[in-house]
Amino acid sequence: MSTEASEPDHPASPRVGRATSVYVGCVAVVGISLTAAAIRVDGLEIDATFWVVLLLAVLAWWFGSVEVDSGRVTLSFTSIVLLAAMALVGPAAAGIVGMLIGPMHEARNPLTVRIFNSGMFATMGVVGGFAYLVAGGDPGNDPVGPWQIVREIGIPVLFADVVQLVVNLVLLAVVVRLAAGMPMRAQVGRLLGTSGPAHLGYGIIAFILVVLWEPAGLGSASVFLILPPLVVAQWAYRQYAEEVKGHERALHVLVAAVEAKAPHLMGHSIRVADLSASMAEQLGLRSQAVADARVAGMLHDLGLTTLPTGLVRSTGVGNSRMRTYPSRGVQLLQGLSFLSGALDAIAHHREAVVPGSRDDLSVAALVVGLADEFDLLTEVGTADGVVLSTQEAVDLLRSTPSGREDLLRALDQALSRRAGVSA
Amino acid sequence: MRSVLPGRHLPRAWAVLASGVLVLAMGLYAGGGTLLDQLAIHQLTVAVFVTAITVGELFRLKMPSGREAAPLASASALAFVFLAEIYGQPVLDVDADFVAVAVATGLLLAAGVRAAQGRAVGLDQVAARLVGVATAAWLARAFTLNGQTLWGLEVDPTVSPWLVAIGMVAVAGLGISVELVLSSAVRSERQRSPWLAALRDEFGEVAPLTAAVVVSGPMVALMAPVLGLLSLPAALFPLAITYLAVGRYTQNRVTYRQTIATLSHLTEQGGYTPTGHAERVADLGVRIGRVLGISDRELRELEYAALLHDLGQISLVEPIPGGATVLAAPTDQRDIADEGARIIRHAEGLDTVADYVEAQTTPYRQVRELGEEVPMASRIIKVANAFDDLTGGSDDPDQVRVANERIHLGLGYQYDPEVVEALAVATSDTTVGRVEERLPAPR
Repeated sequence: MSTEASEPDHPASPRVGRATSVYVGCVAVVGISLTAAAIRVDGLEIDATFWVVLLLAVLAWWFGSVEVDSGRVTLSFTSIVLLAAMALVGPAAAGIVGMLIGPMHEARNPLTVRIFNSGMFATMGVVGGFAYLVAGGDPGNDPVGPWQIVREIGIPVLFADVVQLVVNLVLLAVVVRLAAGMPMRAQVGRLLGTSGPAHLGYGIIAFILVVLWEPAGLGSASVFLILPPLVVAQWAYRQYAEEVKGHERALHVLVAAVEAKAPHLMGHSIRVADLSASMAEQLGLRSQAVADARVAGMLHDLGLTTLPTGLVRSTGVGNSRMRTYPSRGVQLLQGLSFLSGALDAIAHHREAVVPGSRDDLSVAALVVGLADEFDLLTEVGTADGVVLSTQEAVDLLRSTPSGREDLLRALDQALSRRAGVSA
Repeated sequence: MRSVLPGRHLPRAWAVLASGVLVLAMGLYAGGGTLLDQLAIHQLTVAVFVTAITVGELFRLKMPSGREAAPLASASALAFVFLAEIYGQPVLDVDADFVAVAVATGLLLAAGVRAAQGRAVGLDQVAARLVGVATAAWLARAFTLNGQTLWGLEVDPTVSPWLVAIGMVAVAGLGISVELVLSSAVRSERQRSPWLAALRDEFGEVAPLTAAVVVSGPMVALMAPVLGLLSLPAALFPLAITYLAVGRYTQNRVTYRQTIATLSHLTEQGGYTPTGHAERVADLGVRIGRVLGISDRELRELEYAALLHDLGQISLVEPIPGGATVLAAPTDQRDIADEGARIIRHAEGLDTVADYVEAQTTPYRQVRELGEEVPMASRIIKVANAFDDLTGGSDDPDQVRVANERIHLGLGYQYDPEVVEALAVATSDTTVGRVEERLPAPR
């Protein structure tokens, strides 16, 4: 499996800047030059094996790739094909295969992304190919016996796999750093976490392919034996990715239920979710905490659904008969383990905006409370239609527990980010 | 010992069990004294494969639907079927009986461990696996075409490995098919669902995994001449990774269902519907669906729709007394269903679920007389909902009888007769339509 860049669907994605374009150009040039150098140094034999490997690359493309991590990274079997090319033909062939696979993947991607993928895969192929040779691999040699095979194919494949993974992650982290402004170390960590184990695990599939092909003498027929394990892995990850998407949908039904109960809150939950997540990010919280803040913002009003409809529609959340709704929401969500991190903020978000309440509230509760109240004041408005301006709302919120300087600053930044996206 | 032997009323399960016993007995009888001699020659090979089969059986893979598979055990057993030359070991020149007895040993060892741990054993499923592998072994080592067995072709250097690979994959595919046909026969009998539907689910849910198991055996046999016994763990590794992926997938499915179930709690906590009503309707609806042979995918959507069938009550200003929609006026029922569907449609990808919720109030008469299209899932929810409203969730035989009678009165007019018949089957026995072999914990 390999990880490649793909264009996120959501409009909040940053535009490709100048620095990114220059970098993409560099990666493409490096990929081409390395492949040319490999042809010169190591030679390239275009034989039947080469064509079958190329066919395998087309098949890998045909299976498509699976998006993980909300579409920011996709997994595909490119690296298995590259490893096979390195071990069966050599570094130059791996470079050519890489160059050709890159643009094939995700044809809907913009040109820059495809050029980048092409350069990246070519680099991975050539660097990995030489790593294979350095570790004692010898394309065309047929070792016999377990130890011989492990030494001459197993270890080189594993080493080449690690090397190509490192090249993959570093090149990718730089582009994400340039395009999205995320720190490189966090990037590499996140990518390793999502695709690292699978990547190394599927190196074994490449090993099996090479053993079947050469020492076992099966030749190109080995491709057909190796396809089902590839498909099954792809299938499992695809199902998983679908399921994660479905999850998000289920949360939206919860939001829709709130809106059916309280039509005047239409759009409120999603705005609070986005604002909360954005503020949490500005405050430098970890990614899990950001996700929790988002979900808490989305579901903070869920408890309203268990109150009498007439009451919910006639009074504001400040009414004393409504006071139980945060704890009712928590009660509803208690059994859901994946929401455990969001419950505290849901339970205490109201206290965050009541002047003079306890001062030991969690940051998440303060963030969600602030986002909620701010949105109620400036977007939803009171029952008689009074809507405040941003400045009026901020002045009003200054005296509450969530009116802390750092929180208000985060709110301000989150608002300008929102304005920037919608502009 | 309930879960070791099948119940008295399950003739198919007994037939499969008997054929398993027969395969083992024939293997022992025909193999006779040579079994021990052959074991002495191949002790290391046999030990490695029997261990792999046992371990694979102990770590079964649980599918999202609740069915279990043992891909590592099946792949190891099939690998043993084809094994010929092994680097560093004598050529595995044994007959099909020896293979059957060795595989049976591994399967029974695992069954013994499971029984000792108090887990469900399901000897009929074990027998199905043995018969499948024995069939493959017979095809590979005893069946001759032009005087040659498949095994004979494997050790003949003049035969193209292409041909051998294709032959092995075909035989492995046949062996697995026999296993799946038998185990789905047993399963459909236990769930009281149509055999064909069970067979389709058995092949369908795990089709890619089954394909991977089919090729793993031949892979091991083809690599063994150069890689030796190491070829077994190497070929099983991709399957082992699949365990992790399927595990995560199953876990995700569970939390997704929990999220949907949370939605059913909204109306309960608001006092609109009785506690547990939606869960009971979903449980009964899914069981009726299985009896009717509905596909896995449709069953899942049926389950979600059943959990959400009362969601529309959430925006009612005045709750319906007792929340029982079966007693509400038809137009109110319709409004509630429409509102529920409208809320569900807010989420992308749940359209089918919303359709099922929307159509749940349509009387069957409109299907019959006006030719209106009402999804089977909606008809099932209508019946399951009425049944639960009428019994109030009680399984008291008198109440169940009265509810069945009342629903029968609406037969053909309100309710689909086919579904009502399935309801009668499902309410006659609590094990009907359940995937798990054990009874659910009492509520």
